Amino acid sequence: MSAPFAKGPAAPADLPRDEAPAPAPGPGPLDEAAVRAMVDSEQGWIDRRIFWDPQVYALEMERTFARCWIFVAHDSQIPEVGDFLTTYVGEDAVIVARARDRQVHAFINSCSHRGNRVCFAEAGSARRFTCNFHGWSYALDGSLSGVTAEELYKDNPTFDRSKLGLHKARVESHGGMHFACFDPEAPSLADYLGEFRWYLDVLLDNDEGGIEFVDGNIKSRLKCNWKFPAEDFVGDAYHATWTHSSALQALFGNIPTMKADRSFQVNANGHGWDFGLDFISNAATLCEPEIVEYLRENEVRFAERLGKMRSRMVGSLSSATVFPNLSFLAGHNTFRTWNPKGPAETELHTWVFLNRNAPDSLKEKYRRGVMLTFSPAGIFEMDDGENFEHCTASNAGVVTRRRKLHTGLGLGSEVEHPELKGNVHRNQVNEANHRAFYQRWTDLMTAPNWADVPVR
Amino acid sequence: MSDAGKSGAALAAGVDRDLVFEIEQFLYREARLLDEERYDEWLATMAPDVHYWMPGIQARYRADKADLISRTRMAYFDDDLDYLTKRVERAKQTTAWAEDPPTRHFHMVSNIEVEATEIPDEWVVHSLVLNLRHRNEAEEQTLTARRQDLVRRDETGALKLARRLIRLQQTVLQAKNMNAFL
Ligand code: FES
Ligand SMILES: [Fe+2]
Repeated sequence: MSAPFAKGPAAPADLPRDEAPAPAPGPGPLDEAAVRAMVDSEQGWIDRRIFWDPQVYALEMERTFARCWIFVAHDSQIPEVGDFLTTYVGEDAVIVARARDRQVHAFINSCSHRGNRVCFAEAGSARRFTCNFHGWSYALDGSLSGVTAEELYKDNPTFDRSKLGLHKARVESHGGMHFACFDPEAPSLADYLGEFRWYLDVLLDNDEGGIEFVDGNIKSRLKCNWKFPAEDFVGDAYHATWTHSSALQALFGNIPTMKADRSFQVNANGHGWDFGLDFISNAATLCEPEIVEYLRENEVRFAERLGKMRSRMVGSLSSATVFPNLSFLAGHNTFRTWNPKGPAETELHTWVFLNRNAPDSLKEKYRRGVMLTFSPAGIFEMDDGENFEHCTASNAGVVTRRRKLHTGLGLGSEVEHPELKGNVHRNQVNEANHRAFYQRWTDLMTAPNWADVPVR
Repeated sequence: MSDAGKSGAALAAGVDRDLVFEIEQFLYREARLLDEERYDEWLATMAPDVHYWMPGIQARYRADKADLISRTRMAYFDDDLDYLTKRVERAKQTTAWAEDPPTRHFHMVSNIEVEATEIPDEWVVHSLVLNLRHRNEAEEQTLTARRQDLVRRDETGALKLARRLIRLQQTVLQAKNMNAFL
């Protein structure tokens, strides 16, 4: 990767097209003022360096991933005592396990002795995690449970078993979704999600049994900054009919229209969801009539649990992101996380989820339908990675980076709504949620303490 | 389908050289159809009841006895002919942006072994596939996989692919997408 900041004088104002604010400044320390100047969430201008600069990336690992609630597992993935999986919080490898207290614990996957990785399996069942290097072992809650030839440490003044467990995260859950947080100062998960919890329940609680995940986890590497896919899902309905034209044509022979007056973007604390009130449009692209039948048959029951308005979101044309990196699609029933691997690389983890009480035959339709549409081989998703990678790679150019990106679609579209919670914008074809996502990002990046992060 | 303890000669019993040669040519031709994006002709090499399956792969401990090659788990492909046809239909659209300029595909097939089955006109065929994709200026992606096929001679005498299990070697797909058939 080339140098993060442009050397030499600021870009000359050589071309018109410049209602855009002043070009990005030259090299300088990355202080809070510099970061704040990179995002104008009022007018919708984004400095390209936030997708490229290693200093920005390092700071966002500290101030977003290491401080936020990060999704790590659904209850159904580790149902029994001893069940575990391994994943990431930012670039920190973590183990997520159900311990003897039946609670879900999350801790850093790195030995307290010399730092070796402790668990190499992606998932499984274990009694303990034993390090390959010198054989220290850790219980399912991450505490140090065994030390090889422990008598060697007898009377050792610095050896204290109770302080040498694996570095534990706070774990809290909503609707079976477990999130980990490594910041003791962070608000509760409930406060972190804020009014977005009300929306999450559209998927997590439209049916009595809640949801479960299909076994397995498809993972892939994209050469893109993690924020491009995260912002895509937070509210880029705009791209859906263009980027995914080929899949829509292949399946339906035409391109659906999104109704400006029957669709919304909503956000709270930087979490966002764009949706229509069409009830089934996302679900219909799975091309499995039984799925649409299931939704229609249960429409009344959904409305009883969620109210009429939210029930219309269950399978609708929509996409969403929980800040920073958990995205999902209603109707397609996929959750995914965008795990940063450097400024220009992201590891995508995808899952299929289902209503636990749905018939098995229906679960099978979802499993296959999601694979056909939204997985790395899916006929929709296939065209997304191309965009995310090239939005990232173009910023290698020093001159390229001097121009800010326009993220101003739907300025002034905010409305008061009698039912919908959070910040509500009319028309899902909008960039209001992008602006809210980057506002939250800026809030966190410029706040030394959680107390300085406003509720949005 | 375990072949432990059998010699190569025993495995090849009931499979004559002409047949092996014919099946090799069938697989090589299939590879070229894919390289040349002749997808309709490719679909025509499939039996009507084809099952084309590429399960997701996970790294698990040896002691873990969970059945990881299972149709209850997530997959890249778990397709019948209808699904394959939909995928091809997308690839053929002029708006399939990820295919324009075209991906430069390369399929290399090797280590072909043919085994007789209980059914006279069906053979289990093992092979390795190496797939390279080059795109745009410098993008290059490599996929390698072990394949286990069921090849059938249909009533017209033509060979058709009836089953394909593709075992990828990557647990984390080292690519932005899988716009290729293996
Ligand atoms: S590094 Fe783990 S026991 Fe020494
Ligand atoms: Fe997309």
